Amino acid sequence: MSTTTLTAGAPATATVGHATRPGVTFGRLVVAEWIKFRSLRSTWWTLALAVVGMVGISLIFAIGVRASAITAEEENSMLGVLVIVFGYSAAQLALAVLGALTITGEYSTGMIRSTFTAAPRRLPALWAKLLVLTVVTVVVSVVGLVLSYLLTLPLLSGTGVSLDLGDSETVRALAGVPLYLTAVTLLAFTIGAIMRHSAGAITTTLGVMLVVPMVFNILGVFFTWAPRVGAYMPTTAGEQIMSFGGLAGSGMVSDVSLSPWMGISLLGAYVVALLALAAVLMRRRDA
Amino acid sequence: MIEARGLTKRYGSKTAVDGISFTVQPGKVTGFLGPNGAGKSTTMRMIVGLDRPTAGDVTVNGRPFAEHKAPLHEVGALLDAKAVHTGRSAANHLAAMAATHGIGKARVREVIEMTGLGTVAGKRVGGFSLGMGQRLGIASALLGDPRTLILDEPVNGLDPEGVLWVRNLVRFLASEGRTVFLSSHLMSEMALTADHIIVIGRGRIIADAPVQDIVARATGTTVRVRTPHATQLAELLRAADVTISTSEPGLLEITGSTAVTIGETAAAAQLVLHELTPVAASLEDAYMSLTADSVEYHSTSTGLPTPALAASGVTPEEN
Repeated sequence: MSTTTLTAGAPATATVGHATRPGVTFGRLVVAEWIKFRSLRSTWWTLALAVVGMVGISLIFAIGVRASAITAEEENSMLGVLVIVFGYSAAQLALAVLGALTITGEYSTGMIRSTFTAAPRRLPALWAKLLVLTVVTVVVSVVGLVLSYLLTLPLLSGTGVSLDLGDSETVRALAGVPLYLTAVTLLAFTIGAIMRHSAGAITTTLGVMLVVPMVFNILGVFFTWAPRVGAYMPTTAGEQIMSFGGLAGSGMVSDVSLSPWMGISLLGAYVVALLALAAVLMRRRDA
Repeated sequence: MIEARGLTKRYGSKTAVDGISFTVQPGKVTGFLGPNGAGKSTTMRMIVGLDRPTAGDVTVNGRPFAEHKAPLHEVGALLDAKAVHTGRSAANHLAAMAATHGIGKARVREVIEMTGLGTVAGKRVGGFSLGMGQRLGIASALLGDPRTLILDEPVNGLDPEGVLWVRNLVRFLASEGRTVFLSSHLMSEMALTADHIIVIGRGRIIADAPVQDIVARATGTTVRVRTPHATQLAELLRAADVTISTSEPGLLEITGSTAVTIGETAAAAQLVLHELTPVAASLEDAYMSLTADSVEYHSTSTGLPTPALAASGVTPEEN
């Protein structure tokens, strides 16, 4: 197809490119990872699903609140927060898939070999990828949160259900949404980096998020130790940062629950520990 | 310049590359020839640090690949046409690769044009044919304008025109003083492209020499002699390392001697020769005989050392 382009194009190889050398820097790797991140359709699908899921749950919640007659003061402030916050339960599924695919997609397609040829030290590429994913997740969850607030505001006006943005507990629960969603996305990312397999990593992450708490709920019916242990499971602990008025995520806050900041810190510690394992394996394994 | 010393890779009990040492010199095309599973791809992956050697080491332009500050300017590698995310367009793939080294958009456009990907650069790589994928891999390899090129089976899946293009391209790049290391299992292709050949079989270097030496050394040059005095001449030439065969009356195929010796022997005995022709073996013959030998050394079975056997030393990690 292009035997003729050789004479026209090839001589340029000797002259072009030299002016731009010092080579790989962390900043350049971040730019490269951002180009990779935004140039995949799956990125935008999962991000759109996360926002739609988050806002959708809030809207359903708000419609329900409007349809029912709620008057008690305490419940009003609790519901006000819950309407906005509870969208995380849908968003976390989409973001976990995105987190895992960000790294496993490179392994399943062979792209990782190109990545490691350009950045043979490997770990800077891992950190660059992590940074891009973190920033995007924070931005998207804040956008989702703001949209949930703005879109449910007209539905909730006149119901008595309201949000007190001057209340520190309320602010903590709201800020907890991007914190928790980012932690869960990074958890999926590190599991992906360790497993290097899309289906395996996604299934494992969803298992940690959905099945593990359920197992402890079942055990809690029969064994008194189960809730105490279950409180330390990654997502159960992390969800405490969004707790408000006795509710944390899909469960009740009990006397064995970790405090909000303790909980999110424990989830963070799980992520850091898995990330360290992922980093060691990434340096050691053949690509 | 690529220098490997005692390079070894084992996967469990299976030794894919067995303590090989070699040097790939700049300014020429060095072919890396061997049957599938001989250890070519594993060796190339170790050169660019994708696989960690079990023992030994390899440097590119004087340093281990990972220690270069600008690896894409040192080495351009086509290791696997599928080292690209299938969901991304060719242009975005190249843009991302370029961004790691701060290589400008102009160079990205240039390699796209150079490899003939202009019309499909915006399409997702998942829909590419094998040949298109191969061109994209070569475009990636050229992106950093590297001093050393490592191309694993670059003509795989290319049409004849593409094969010719790759051949001219690598010869041109070598003529500029770059190091070009090219693997193939296609001997005929190597004969046309390479200046120097490293033959690998079962993870070991079988031969490392200029193309013409490989051809000459492996089979020994055969001399075809046509003479009415065939029996007498055969008698005179008989020696330990000389093999004489005949397929028709008056025609001798002599290996282990030279046309000069045969001609002088015949003249001294006053024997008439109708033909005295040195017949160079093809690289293909040389390769078959080389790899057949490696089977003889390794195999304890009584099977014939046929080329088919030589090519069956396949290790599972390739593919």
